[in-house]
Amino acid sequence: MQYGFYIDQTRCIGCFTCVVACRDWHDVPAGPASWIRIKTIEKGKYPDLFVAFLPVTCYHCLQPACIPACPTGAITKRDEDGIVTVDTETCLGAGCQLCLEACPYDAPQFAPEEDAKMQKCDFCVDRWAEGKKPVCVDGCPMWALDAGPIDELRAKYGDVRCAEGFLYSEDIAPSVIFKPKQDAKGLVTQKILMSPPAP
Amino acid sequence: MSPDKTSEEQIIHTICNSHCGGICEMKVHVRGGKIVRIESGGEGETSHRMCARGRAYRQRVYAPDRLLYPLKRSGARGAGEFTKVSWDEALETVARELKRVRDTYGNAAILHFCSLADAHVVHHAQAFHRLLCQFGGYTAPWGFISYEGLAFAAGTTYGTPPAAYTHEISERAEEYPKARLILMWGWNPVDTHQGTRTPLLLARAKEGGTRFIFVDPRYTDSAAAFANQWIPIRPGTDVAALIAMAHVIIKENLHDPRYIDTYTVGFDRFKDYVFGLEDGVEKTPEWAADITDIPAATITDLAREYAGTKPAILEAGYAAGRTAFGEQFHRAIAVLEAITGNARISSGGRAGSRALRRILQIPSPPNPVEMSVPPRWNALPYRSATVNSSARVNVNLLVDAVLKGKAGDYPADYKLLWLSNTNYLNQLSEVNKAIEAFQKLEFILVTEQFMSSSAKFADIVLPVCTFLERTDFRTPKAIEPLGESRSQLQICEALASKLGITDYNDKSDEEWVQFMMTKLSEEFTKAAVAPDKKAKDSEHKLLSTPSGKIEIYSQLIAEMKHSLIPPIPKYIETWESLNDPLAKKYPLQLITPHFKRRAHSQFDNLPWLRDLQKQALTINAIDAESRGIRDGDMARIFNDRGEVIIPAEVTERIMPGVVALAQGGWYSPDENGIDHGGCANVLTKNVTSPAGAFPSHTALVQVEKAEK
Repeated sequence: MQYGFYIDQTRCIGCFTCVVACRDWHDVPAGPASWIRIKTIEKGKYPDLFVAFLPVTCYHCLQPACIPACPTGAITKRDEDGIVTVDTETCLGAGCQLCLEACPYDAPQFAPEEDAKMQKCDFCVDRWAEGKKPVCVDGCPMWALDAGPIDELRAKYGDVRCAEGFLYSEDIAPSVIFKPKQDAKGLVTQKILMSPPAP
Repeated sequence: MSPDKTSEEQIIHTICNSHCGGICEMKVHVRGGKIVRIESGGEGETSHRMCARGRAYRQRVYAPDRLLYPLKRSGARGAGEFTKVSWDEALETVARELKRVRDTYGNAAILHFCSLADAHVVHHAQAFHRLLCQFGGYTAPWGFISYEGLAFAAGTTYGTPPAAYTHEISERAEEYPKARLILMWGWNPVDTHQGTRTPLLLARAKEGGTRFIFVDPRYTDSAAAFANQWIPIRPGTDVAALIAMAHVIIKENLHDPRYIDTYTVGFDRFKDYVFGLEDGVEKTPEWAADITDIPAATITDLAREYAGTKPAILEAGYAAGRTAFGEQFHRAIAVLEAITGNARISSGGRAGSRALRRILQIPSPPNPVEMSVPPRWNALPYRSATVNSSARVNVNLLVDAVLKGKAGDYPADYKLLWLSNTNYLNQLSEVNKAIEAFQKLEFILVTEQFMSSSAKFADIVLPVCTFLERTDFRTPKAIEPLGESRSQLQICEALASKLGITDYNDKSDEEWVQFMMTKLSEEFTKAAVAPDKKAKDSEHKLLSTPSGKIEIYSQLIAEMKHSLIPPIPKYIETWESLNDPLAKKYPLQLITPHFKRRAHSQFDNLPWLRDLQKQALTINAIDAESRGIRDGDMARIFNDRGEVIIPAEVTERIMPGVVALAQGGWYSPDENGIDHGGCANVLTKNVTSPAGAFPSHTALVQVEKAEK
């Protein structure tokens, strides 16, 4: 079984509720390490513009690039649901960061401390255990997110794998599908913002 | 202090209670007397899920800078130097000063302002009001900071209070998915979100095929989410565009003569103005194009589309009403809605919701300062005699009143200021002038949760607990108050006893809530047996204007005889427009919008939220380039009223010639008085619009690259 996310990009208004809800639920202090963040893609020139928002997190890939990259085997993929988790005991920490280098989606996060261990979205395993969906999904004021077995999500929402600001990698197969927001005019990207900003 | 992991977790269901105006459902997880997590409450797409600010509330409760003890000023006013004192000493000092000012100058010398935006009921304005009325009275302000222009337009055009409270907006928002066109005029609900349900319903409308046109100087996040078309407009010129739209609509016979005849008065006089019979200037799209920077053809198309699409909703944000002559904006909107037959009065709904607020109040004796005083010249019939009293001072002019007093034609000389639920100095206009006024006052009391810009000027600061630490209507107490902080009602009660008032409060918080529940159910019973007022209202026959109709020509305004408040809506050029000689020195128009991660100045100090967006000056790439400013550079923003230094955010998303600095940044002056907190009101002008609108979006500035 593989769990994953559905993101309705046309609904995302960049309100950051998921970001703060996640920090509160998982007790993640402010700073560069944030398990979910918002990417803002700004295209075009005044006054012909297109702006899209995209929540960015760990997609619990089918073939995670971070797992083979980790020298200590600290990152594992759970058999029962495909959730990718990190063992902070064996993680070498901010001095290593090979997982971050390997991940095309910048999912592994490191706090600014020198000895900071890798942290990232754990798909709210504690909430699933209580029968609840991840806190970002349950908190989204726009009902733009969903989570569950990826096959069920595909059956419900279709199988669109790319979105504005997101490129699907066949090699690692991220467990995410979208309702993408489309820039019909193909405007030139002027600016991409990441909030909270990457370190 | 970490909570005891073994103790049981309790979940308290409450309503987020902040300055946004939203009332979103909140589940507070408490363990061992401490909040450990906060979740959104409610199930299904009809519930109101909290925004990022609500989700950060745990950080607000446990913020290291929370005020937990009464403080007495020990340094100069504004320096922020205080010493901890006992409640007894603090309250003794406050009581002594209140009595001294009353006995020396009279009760009118006492100014008190409590902002109404938080959704409290027990611990709110009425608690202070009751105490001060029992004390012999005080001077209260009049005017809504957010939407006085709308309040004036609604009162004069429809004879009703404005539909301005959240639940009313939500009620209206349920109509969005039915509309074929929504014209979003200066409205950015994605950032201001008075409750998160509005953007959700807008999204549903869009998914159902509703077309969205945004008229706004900025390509806001709401425009990003919903706009099919964005029409940038020069700030302060909205009325010109609306009047020119009316020109097109009338000229091309797109108006609704039957609706106009049946439900409105004054159309002919308006038509005379529009076609230049009154002043010799025909208000064509070409005329408006020069003023607004919107091409004439775009105005024509917009007029045709609005008049030709049914149903169409014209959503006027409060922002364009917070300009010089902002009341004209809301009057013009009302007229455009009326002549196209799109007016949606539903005053039954509005009156009902409004009444809710009136019912849910701690009762109070009348304010002696306001008794036997004539009404103000601009009194509105739907307002009570007290709110219409000429003893009141416009909310934006409190500091002007302090500086000038009777010599400046204010009703009294003001000596003592008590601020609660407001960061007045930061959030009203012209901070440096406000500082001058604050320095002149004999005594300042601030009841606060944080050392706000205003609290720094206080002589005594009393620590107020958050809404999670006491019980109010629909918001049960989740935890005990932190430190020595107390609820608003507790503070007033303790002060009453120091003032020798013995009958201030005989109820606990829970008993007050019960009292209000009883009143509410009585009121609902009455409403249930009353005839169906709402149904009649939909026929537009029950308006309480002098004519009983929608007043395009307002008799009330005519009677005010004010040359700058015409009885039909007109475009009046603002002060500090680009035609002002001042524009040579200060060529950019400053607007001061709301910020997603704050509710006005609330939440600015929380790290979880500060992470998300940088307080910055938004400037178009063209204006930035001509000044040698690159994205992220430090910029000086200045005019004769002050200077702010803050990073520049260079963007395509604002029209050239306009810069935006989000209001609510905490004023942080250096030794030269230059602000580094991004407080927009350092630059705004301390005047009001003739009918009382707070013109926070009318100011000229210059921007330069700052030396590092």
